[in-house]
Amino acid sequence: SPYQDRPWEYLESEEYRATYGDNPVWHGYHRNHKGSVPPQRTRKACLRRGRHVGNPCPICRDRNLLVDFRNVKLLDQFICPHSGVIFHPIHTGICMKQHKRLSQAIAQAQDHGLLWLQVPFVPVPDEDFSNQHAAVGKTPPAPALKGPGRAWYPWYEWQQPPATEVARMRRLYRGFLEENYPDTPPS
Amino acid sequence: GKAAKPKPAFTDEAVQTLLYRMTGLDLHKVFRPVKKDLKPPNYKLMTEAQLEEATRKAIEEAKAKLIMPPVLNEREPIDDVLAEDKVLEGTETVKYVFTDLSYSIPHRERFIVVREPSGVLRKATWEERDRMIQIFFPKEGRRVIPPTLFKDENLGTVFQQDRHEDVLNMCIAQFEPDSPDYIRVHHRTYEDIEKHAKYDLLRSTRHFGGMVWYLVNRKKTDGLLIDMINRDLLEDATSLITLYHMLHPECQSAKEAKEGKLQGVDLIKVFVKTESQREGYIQLALQAYEEAMATSSAS
Repeated sequence: SPYQDRPWEYLESEEYRATYGDNPVWHGYHRNHKGSVPPQRTRKACLRRGRHVGNPCPICRDRNLLVDFRNVKLLDQFICPHSGVIFHPIHTGICMKQHKRLSQAIAQAQDHGLLWLQVPFVPVPDEDFSNQHAAVGKTPPAPALKGPGRAWYPWYEWQQPPATEVARMRRLYRGFLEENYPDTPPS
Repeated sequence: GKAAKPKPAFTDEAVQTLLYRMTGLDLHKVFRPVKKDLKPPNYKLMTEAQLEEATRKAIEEAKAKLIMPPVLNEREPIDDVLAEDKVLEGTETVKYVFTDLSYSIPHRERFIVVREPSGVLRKATWEERDRMIQIFFPKEGRRVIPPTLFKDENLGTVFQQDRHEDVLNMCIAQFEPDSPDYIRVHHRTYEDIEKHAKYDLLRSTRHFGGMVWYLVNRKKTDGLLIDMINRDLLEDATSLITLYHMLHPECQSAKEAKEGKLQGVDLIKVFVKTESQREGYIQLALQAYEEAMATSSAS
């Protein structure tokens, strides 16, 4: 479709005006179903395995109509102007796959601020904003963190073991230790 | 010399009364119809007394809706380290966030700490705190990840649609009053309103007081003054100038007003001569107002 990158331009073109005039895109579309009451869900998709079905839905039948969060004019046609609610697919006739994509595009447009969104009234919070509590205020750092040379646990640094333990280890491994094996490691 | 008086804060009684008077109370705007699910309309037959009672109740509800949101300084970032356990370095590949989920403590006193993969146990930053509290204690109208419309590029599109009030309401719902995002969005909105002189959009809403406070602190009151005079709101104009004098007592017009104890139009004229940048426009507006008053009193 020539309007791939700028889908909003199609809705202002002569071609669109000639096809639809002032009516919304889904005006005049009739679903083919048996009986007076239509099935309460429209068809799942108009394009299955690369083949188009007969009587495609209003969006699938026009290859220039692209569902994108930027063409707000198209998205507006599927939202009720009085209540701000998205029309049910039975009302507009679009297939379920397009309805899903349309709902996502409308949510995205509202998120970006291009479409109107109902803002709930949130009363002003009535709490203490002084940030004095220890959870959010400053706590003095622990003494171990104050200097670079201090370790968090005393055993992070090497500690001289008691003499009895040293003697025990020497007696245990006396056959394997070198003659001048030192008591403290070289720093 | 004399001891300097402390600068008036936003929460002072005098300041709040002045701002409240300037906001006005247009019931038709406060209770205007909103897009919602359609219901059949509801008609009531009332006597004069009942109508007055209903109006009085409506005014009280409107006053509750017009309570101004707090104006605070930006919060200080949290970067306290509670412990450093090098033993744990290399044991995990992800950060762990521990949140205190006791129900009855206020959110500002909740302890939230993060254990990094390097073994450092630190307090969570403000953004992490807000996210965690929203996940575990969801608030209405607030999303875990803020909507993209609060980014600077997208705010422009919203301002073009004249939806400043909606933006500010969403901002109050989404952010805490002392977060940098809240302050940035509010300042952007006020700047845009002042640039295009769209002051009437916020009149009779709870955001008008905040906007006036912002403008008076930065001495950008000219556009607002012209707007007020054009709409024949002389009392509001005098309240605005009184507020200006309260906040900047050392300026020329404040001293002159204090000496002469000026009221009404004289106060505005003194202010215009000494403090304003757009003197010509304000003089024109004042002239037009005085002519209108003269013709209306003559006829």
